Amino acid sequence: MTAPPQAPPRARRRLPLTWLGVLPFALFVGLFLFAPTMKIVIGAFQTPEGGLTLDNIRGLFTTSILSSYWISIKISATSAALGCLVGFLMAAAVVLGGLPGWIRSPLLTFSGVASNFAGVPLAFAFLATLGPLGLITVWLRSEFGINLRALGFNILSFWGLTITYLFFQIPLMILIITPALDGLKREWREAASVLGATGAQYWRMVALPILFPALLGTFALLFANAFGAVATAIALTGSSLNIVPIMLFAQIRGDVLGNPNLGYAMAFGMILVTGVANVIYIWLRIRSERWLK
Amino acid sequence: MKKLLAWAILLLGITYFILPLVGMTEFSLSMRRGVYSLDAYRAVLADPRFHQTFGYSVIMALLTIVFGVLLVVPTAFWVQLKMPHLRPVVEFVTLLPLVIPAIVIVFGYIRLYNTSSWLPLTGTTFGTNLLLMLGYATLSLPYMYRAVDTGLRTIDVATLTEAAQSLGAGWTTILARVILPNVLVAVLSGAFVTFAIVMGEFTMAALLNRPAFGPYLQLMGANKAYEPFALAVIAFVITWACMGLIQLVTRFSKHTKAAR
Amino acid sequence: MTFLTIEHLEKSFGPNRVVKDFNLSVEKGEFVSLLGPSGCGKTTVLRMVAGFEAPSAGRIAIDGADVVRLRPNQRNIGMVFQAYALFPNLTVAQNVGFGLKVKGTPRAEIAARVAEMLALIGLPDLGGRYPFQLSGGQQQRVALARALAPKPQVLLLDEPLSALDAKVRVSLRNEIRAIQRELGITTIFVTHDQEEALSMSDRVVVMHQGVADQVGTPFEIYNQPATRFVANFVGTLNILEAEVIDPSLGHVRLPGGQARLGRPLPTGRVTLAARPEMVKLGAEGRDTALQGRITEVDFLGSVIRIRADLGGAVLAFDTFNTSHARPPRVGETVQLGLNAADLLVLQD
Repeated sequence: MTAPPQAPPRARRRLPLTWLGVLPFALFVGLFLFAPTMKIVIGAFQTPEGGLTLDNIRGLFTTSILSSYWISIKISATSAALGCLVGFLMAAAVVLGGLPGWIRSPLLTFSGVASNFAGVPLAFAFLATLGPLGLITVWLRSEFGINLRALGFNILSFWGLTITYLFFQIPLMILIITPALDGLKREWREAASVLGATGAQYWRMVALPILFPALLGTFALLFANAFGAVATAIALTGSSLNIVPIMLFAQIRGDVLGNPNLGYAMAFGMILVTGVANVIYIWLRIRSERWLK
Repeated sequence: MKKLLAWAILLLGITYFILPLVGMTEFSLSMRRGVYSLDAYRAVLADPRFHQTFGYSVIMALLTIVFGVLLVVPTAFWVQLKMPHLRPVVEFVTLLPLVIPAIVIVFGYIRLYNTSSWLPLTGTTFGTNLLLMLGYATLSLPYMYRAVDTGLRTIDVATLTEAAQSLGAGWTTILARVILPNVLVAVLSGAFVTFAIVMGEFTMAALLNRPAFGPYLQLMGANKAYEPFALAVIAFVITWACMGLIQLVTRFSKHTKAAR
Repeated sequence: MTFLTIEHLEKSFGPNRVVKDFNLSVEKGEFVSLLGPSGCGKTTVLRMVAGFEAPSAGRIAIDGADVVRLRPNQRNIGMVFQAYALFPNLTVAQNVGFGLKVKGTPRAEIAARVAEMLALIGLPDLGGRYPFQLSGGQQQRVALARALAPKPQVLLLDEPLSALDAKVRVSLRNEIRAIQRELGITTIFVTHDQEEALSMSDRVVVMHQGVADQVGTPFEIYNQPATRFVANFVGTLNILEAEVIDPSLGHVRLPGGQARLGRPLPTGRVTLAARPEMVKLGAEGRDTALQGRITEVDFLGSVIRIRADLGGAVLAFDTFNTSHARPPRVGETVQLGLNAADLLVLQD
């Protein structure tokens, strides 16, 4: 230990020295994670002059802002739910479906790539596929006479954005759930079946409850992931779709709401939504993991 | 029956993932009417702004990696060695950037470190670059910390440290010559993820008005017809390369470990 | 009447024949062990009885009904696994009641049966615990209760004691056997531990390379091993290559001396085997004396293990430690006594 030689031999004096080791980290997260977040939270309850107010929060309850939250939450929840479902099915197909073993490694590598392939380029990829002149759009029209647009599909819409988000949501689910599926012991399934349980009963009473915390955690993560996604949305829709991150982006750039502190309130609302999603997650996880302590 | 279903699910999934990549590639090759050509790529590579923004992002990514390693490795090491009771707290904190949207964090930066604040980082170009780098470090913190922490768990930190101390090594020596080489694979994995994140990042760079690759992509998307798709292909290749490199170093390290 | 019949059972994984023409008849209430080294096919036989593996050929019948085409959940079998395999998300009581619950048994009935089973395994108060809160021995007893709760026709035990430490293993061994006797349930027990197989079973099947080498009572298996493998695998053995001098009288020459077996032998050479406990130091009271030189003396407390070189073969044996007799010294030449009737003639 590098204790100064004149330090009296008291245990209390050693403690601060140990804490010094995490000081850089504490400083960093304090200044660049907590402080900016707190600034937003406090700003949401302040007037431009610094007085306390609830006006900003009240300002959120206008039709346009509320509807932007609603559509954001819908997109996030839908893409997270579908991402969980499809990712789970694909992971289960590979881990439990009896597919050849060599498929696994490339699938996981690809999932690593795809889960990180978000943002602007992803939007381009989907514009090239499902946009007005996209690969599938054109193909369906020329080969089958199906006009996606006439059917109500638009890449710049709820479903367009959801389908695009799935490109990083599904792989993230695969990456997280594959180890969890590996953790299901073969003996559990065998024990259940020898005790008379059908496959469905095994899944309902044993496998799903065991996987539940992992499924839930991934859902919360995917939700936050989609809720905060700015780049994909902006590159895909410009400002034509009224979702929270796009509105906030425009507000930060040019104060389109005409009230700087209303921006704080919007950002605070975002923290609140993802925060609440995670609190629900932690609460459910504690409830469902009694069997793990 | 079960196998058939599994194949069906897998193939459907793969189709979903392949089509956008095909679409993007096909568009990027279609600049010249009627034939496939590399014209879009040529146009992109000839654009000086491509070189500027790409170079800027590469340098930012490298700086972020260096900063992240210098921050995360000693912290994770120290927590594991001296303050294991703090571990859940630190782990929780490092996961927060996955929960708090990046746009909120950068919004806070802009209001907290503007020209009239106590730390006017956004007042100068250097200051803004620094702030952006710190923002990138925040975004990559969950990945970097997890990778390093997992790596540290596989080695016996306490024994290695005591052995080094008994041989007279100081903390810097221990970290640089004993701990770091042993978690190098983990650090590299974290570094490649960081690289991929920084190269594609849009929100922070755009809101801090820095000439990074992400905002450039978006600008091109709004103004050009075919070049954006060439850029998207390039971005995809970068991501793929980063993930491939992670696989490579992990596999390589497994071989060397097995040989021991 | 046999209760469980296995006839001409075969199993191949690709080109590997893991089980070859396996036959076994188990009486109702009988405890039969499948004993053998790992990879001998014993677990595969058990898994085919349970229904986890489909036989390549052959018949498995329980109480007269062919079960080969039935799925595991239709066979009414209880099974205990090596790694406990308790459902971690369910309490002890829920684990034990699982089999009844999936059958749609009324709740009150399940509760009563669970209480009964928990009392049977001596853990009446642990119903509310989760598996992670139990010791290995407790978990395995709960697994036993879970397997028995739905009143299966046959109980399968797949190395249930291997994961436990030595002390628990012995006590649980006795407990399992006692419960099995009390319920009179037909049981197949797979193990690689000869002591377990010999101490617990009514009959033992020694398996080797997918084939049942010998089926018999523990006494028969130990004292009259049918093949060299059985003799070697069950207990320790001293192998003595002998030259037959007189086939009709069973007169042989072996390292260190001669022996008269008094039973007909083939001409030429035979392989004889002597259990360590059949050999003693000094030839008094024994009909055969072999001469050897002591090469090793290991003092183990109550027992002294001695190895002697007979000139071409090594004979290991134990003598009890007594305070008045001094143990032999290394290098000493001694007489070793045994009875010719205790010499086993091994077939390959």
